[in-house]
Amino acid sequence: MSKYELPKKFDYKNVSLLKQFITETGKIIPARVTGVSASNQRKLTRYIKIARFLALIPYTDMHK
Amino acid sequence: MKKYEAVIILNPNLSSKVDSFIKDFEKLLKANTFNIKKMEDIGRRQLSYSINNHNKGHYLIFNIEGNAENIIDIENKIKYNESIIRHLFISVKEHDGEDSQLLVDSRNKKSESEDEESNVKNEVKKKPADVEKKNEEKIVSEEESIEYVSSDSIEEDSKDE
Repeated sequence: MSKYELPKKFDYKNVSLLKQFITETGKIIPARVTGVSASNQRKLTRYIKIARFLALIPYTDMHK
Repeated sequence: MKKYEAVIILNPNLSSKVDSFIKDFEKLLKANTFNIKKMEDIGRRQLSYSINNHNKGHYLIFNIEGNAENIIDIENKIKYNESIIRHLFISVKEHDGEDSQLLVDSRNKKSESEDEESNVKNEVKKKPADVEKKNEEKIVSEEESIEYVSSDSIEEDSKDE
């Protein structure tokens, strides 16, 4: 488990950053795998869910 | 006064009418006590999944400030505007004055596509040399593996004796 350094400020617009924390199928990767701190993981989940709604990130790989 | 970020995805077929839409939207905001602090026109972007049978969308991001009660009125009017395929208002503590990552990415993509033609020529020149090297390496490794196998078999033979 390696500690991943997240930038101090990031949001739902950093698509390339958020894509590192979802699997190929679009699921959010748990913090116990990535080693992200609890507070950052909460931010990540919030921003990933916003980015999904705005079609910046897929919900799943089953989209037609 | 509350600060919001408004993200609006427009119908990509109406990309040419973006300017008039922005003016209309500004009027709507001003009528509801909202001020625009910053506007980012990100442009057409591939959607991760199709929305209303659209595969592309024209993204606009507004940094706005105004009374919280009026945002419902704005949303009610936007809801029935058919040129908007998706919208989202997010309340934020502070607007950061810098360009958003989305805008930076879209700019980079534009410049990349312009540079591509010159890059492609360079890559073609490099490739043949690399391929030759790889082939040589493969041949060497195969020879080595054969040697190992033969030495093993010899040892086994000696044990049997």
